[in-house]
Amino acid sequence: MIIDLHNHSTKSDDGRAKVSSYCRWIHKREIPIHGLVLTEHRQFDDESDYRELEDEHDLLILKGSEVETDYGHVLVFGVNEDLLNAFDFGAIDLKLADVVQAADRCGGIAVPCHPGRPTVGMVAHYEERGPIEGVRVIEVYNGGSRAGEDEASLALARELGYYGVGGSDAHLVSQIGLCATKFERDIRSMEELVMALKEGSFEAVSWR
Amino acid sequence: MALISIDRKWIGQEFDVAEFKVSEKGILAFARACGETEPRFTDPSHPDFQAPPTFTSKYVSRRILPEAFPDLGARGFDAGKTVEVLGPLRPNDTLTARSKIADIYEKTGRSGPMIFIVHRMEFFNQDGQPVSIVDWRLVRQPDPE
Amino acid sequence: MQRRFQDIELGDELPEYAPDISLSAVRSFAEAVGVGRVGRFTDHEQARREGLPGAIVPGIMSQGILAAMIHKWAPGCQIRKLDTVFRAPIVVDSQARCRGVITETEPDASSVDIDLTIVNEAGETRVLGTATVRI
Repeated sequence: MIIDLHNHSTKSDDGRAKVSSYCRWIHKREIPIHGLVLTEHRQFDDESDYRELEDEHDLLILKGSEVETDYGHVLVFGVNEDLLNAFDFGAIDLKLADVVQAADRCGGIAVPCHPGRPTVGMVAHYEERGPIEGVRVIEVYNGGSRAGEDEASLALARELGYYGVGGSDAHLVSQIGLCATKFERDIRSMEELVMALKEGSFEAVSWR
Repeated sequence: MALISIDRKWIGQEFDVAEFKVSEKGILAFARACGETEPRFTDPSHPDFQAPPTFTSKYVSRRILPEAFPDLGARGFDAGKTVEVLGPLRPNDTLTARSKIADIYEKTGRSGPMIFIVHRMEFFNQDGQPVSIVDWRLVRQPDPE
Repeated sequence: MQRRFQDIELGDELPEYAPDISLSAVRSFAEAVGVGRVGRFTDHEQARREGLPGAIVPGIMSQGILAAMIHKWAPGCQIRKLDTVFRAPIVVDSQARCRGVITETEPDASSVDIDLTIVNEAGETRVLGTATVRI
């Protein structure tokens, strides 16, 4: 089962895509993904209900978040009430160590994204300040990466034995499905996604 | 590097009203430089001659930010503009533009921490009809340490 | 050629367009919008002194160029909204390409949504945006 783990809708300040448009685009372009996760910037969208769209388009639509830490941006999967109370999702100066620990404690998982990107990726911060304990999975393919950035992410994953996922980081409709993650098992819910991410039973894929 | 937290009380406050005159010459120069080739934008004798839809993007009000707005330094850049077209602009139209702050938020990007300030200009023609809304996303960045 | 709404499909691509972003074109634009003396747009040397790779295309010129591309594809159409994100500078005198693709069709309003990008010679997206256009 292939899921695009990193996407933004109009709920994000810089997102320009309606979720319904993503769904129609995936079908029209025959993009080989079975689901997508909406990871809105600095927030968790607990209002939108995409169940009708899921049924209409036979797609799994899940919700996570992308938060901002001292080691760069981080995807958070498995957001629940406990996790929402653990830190301020809107802050831009969270501590990566705190986010990783809180996610783990509350039954979720934190996945640093676009690690190879300047400032907002963890590679440069690791070089300066060393690794953070508890990180197990990072994004190694990102649809918005510039030349050399994914290579730096892959090198970090190899060096530290991290599992690697892929996500498009789509902000426009036509950017979805550039990168994704292929899971060995079927995934039907956020709980199952978090479990699969913790097991490491997946591989990152890129069609860029 | 911490940013100054900006009070969200600024959002929605109108802080400037400016007037602009639309000229035939101005329309032609803008249209041609953008590569427009349709006669309704490039030929003043066309019965529907008008300014291209993003023409109002060029206007800057007398103040970019409210008078007492916190000083965020000079570093920054233009992150983007959104133009909503509500009606045509013709030569000799007189536009009144009302400015307000539509949003303020912080984020980090490739170049470091940033404050986004969305400056909204609402344009009305001489008949009081709304013709255009421009959202200008201004970015301010703290000086390097 | 007039374009009819019923002939447009989700996923259709607009013809790729190479805009004129030569120094003389950008100077003309800068004059037209009142920034003719701003060196970072009109003078490569001055722009380099400011730490840029060369003179850069004003963001609002990129926006106007994208509108022109839409008008060339569908003459007579009405652009209702054009939203542009100036992600990174486009260098004057470089070879940029404008692209557009239909991402939504709304029969009731006879309108389409378009994803727009301007890419540089390295294929990097420098400006991106969306438009809502009544056909």
